[in-house]
Amino acid sequence: MISDAPVLQQTSEPADRSAAPSRLSRYARPLLGVLLPLILAAGWELVVWFGWSNGRLVPPPSRVLAAIADLARSGELVRHIAATLWRVGLGFAFGVVAGTLLGAISGYWSLARRLLDPTVQALRAIPSLAWVPLFILWLGIFETSKIALIAVGVFFPVYLGVMGAILSVDRKIVEVGRTFRLSGFAMIRRILLPAVLPAYVVSLRVGLGLGWMFVVAAELIGASEGLGYLLLDGQQLGKPAQILAAIVIFAILGKLTDWLIEVGAAPFLRWQDAFGRAKET
Amino acid sequence: MLALDRVSKTYPNGVQALARFSAEIRQGEILAIIGGSGCGKSTLLRAIAGLDRASSGTVTLDSEAIASPHSKIGIIFQEPRLLPWLSVADNIGFGLADLPAAERREKVARALERVGLADKAQAWPRELSGGQAQRVAIARALVPQPEVLLLDEPFSALDAFTRRDLQDHLLDLWADTRPTLILVTHDVDEAVVLADRVLVMRPRPGRLFDQIEINLGRPRDRNSPLFENFKRSVLTSLDRSLDRSVPDRDATQGPGQAMWW
Repeated sequence: MISDAPVLQQTSEPADRSAAPSRLSRYARPLLGVLLPLILAAGWELVVWFGWSNGRLVPPPSRVLAAIADLARSGELVRHIAATLWRVGLGFAFGVVAGTLLGAISGYWSLARRLLDPTVQALRAIPSLAWVPLFILWLGIFETSKIALIAVGVFFPVYLGVMGAILSVDRKIVEVGRTFRLSGFAMIRRILLPAVLPAYVVSLRVGLGLGWMFVVAAELIGASEGLGYLLLDGQQLGKPAQILAAIVIFAILGKLTDWLIEVGAAPFLRWQDAFGRAKET
Repeated sequence: MLALDRVSKTYPNGVQALARFSAEIRQGEILAIIGGSGCGKSTLLRAIAGLDRASSGTVTLDSEAIASPHSKIGIIFQEPRLLPWLSVADNIGFGLADLPAAERREKVARALERVGLADKAQAWPRELSGGQAQRVAIARALVPQPEVLLLDEPFSALDAFTRRDLQDHLLDLWADTRPTLILVTHDVDEAVVLADRVLVMRPRPGRLFDQIEINLGRPRDRNSPLFENFKRSVLTSLDRSLDRSVPDRDATQGPGQAMWW
């Protein structure tokens, strides 16, 4: 009996030890990510507070937050965010639909790929901003040309992602489908779609990132509302706090929408045997 | 009966992988095909499976010509080739999509029980060991009850212990419905343990060299002298098949005449 006691202690102790870090890391890990920006912000705040810098060109976080609060109070902020989100949303939707359709066609039919892909690749080589004058001439200065520009930005990564993903589906897996006599639509639904999904989600996230990039370009060109307009307005009226406020909101919205795609896709990608997952669990 | 009549395969790059291969395989027979690398074993299997078309010659199953994958023919590959996005149970039920859900569930549950993986039904393929994954692949191929099951070096990627276990397991499963098994292997031990008949092929171009009937009852004792004898005769034949100075056995001659030298 006496010899049993230390053994029991030994076995229960490591269990406790392994449980504690996992509970800690669950809450601590997201916090770890905001640690660096928080320290930098707090540092700059102190520098200005102590009067070592007047903070006129690089306003401290408190002034940026005050600018955001001012905009929010007057209702301006919601209007600008809504305008930008609407443009990104529509442009993203059009770009994704076109990129997915053409990418799937090019990936699936080699004849279509030979016909279509060289043209698309040539168009891709054009810096997308070069379209701006043409889009304004064709579609006018208002919403249509902006949404078209964003859609162009989103289109290419999605097109390339879908086509590349279909082309790289494992032949061995396709063969399994063939031995079960799948063909045409059944093969697409039961083999190709699930096989392509992880790469598709990545291409959507890349596309969304470019969508946010192009909305700024579109709104800098000529807009009376939107976060890009806030940037331009801040520059022209010498309000750096307003510029930083818009940048911070861009960062938050970009991260948030990216996170939405990630979370939305997660249930369909639970099967993945990935490097990142192995480290997290 | 599965009949192969002068099956040849020449690849587009000019390599002749298979030359006039003929054989008849009885329903329920276990046939092992063995031979050096490049002797067209896998090419032959893919032609029977309908995955590749033979350049000439015919494959017929019960007088029905096979040119594309057929519902009565199943195949198990060297790798398990499980679909990573489906659970183990859904992988096993992959070929049963046409059945009503209740019937499918019941068949899958029985197959899972049969391969001893009932507790893994909801696991992902990535969570299985190599042996477990190959057992799922076997269950997936057997659950639609094929008349012919093709196995392309199915256990060659496994360790010796797991391989023996799975060989016994395969025989056990075979006894349920007694499908025809055609097993491509490079493992003499495996061929003699499993097969009623061993076909030895010789390479460049791949063709039939010799056949050896394994007249041993089951279960077979891997350590019995008789087992060793059969192993030795397969090995000898295999050695001769790789020796270029040995002429081909003429297809028109009987087995006795083949030994004329």
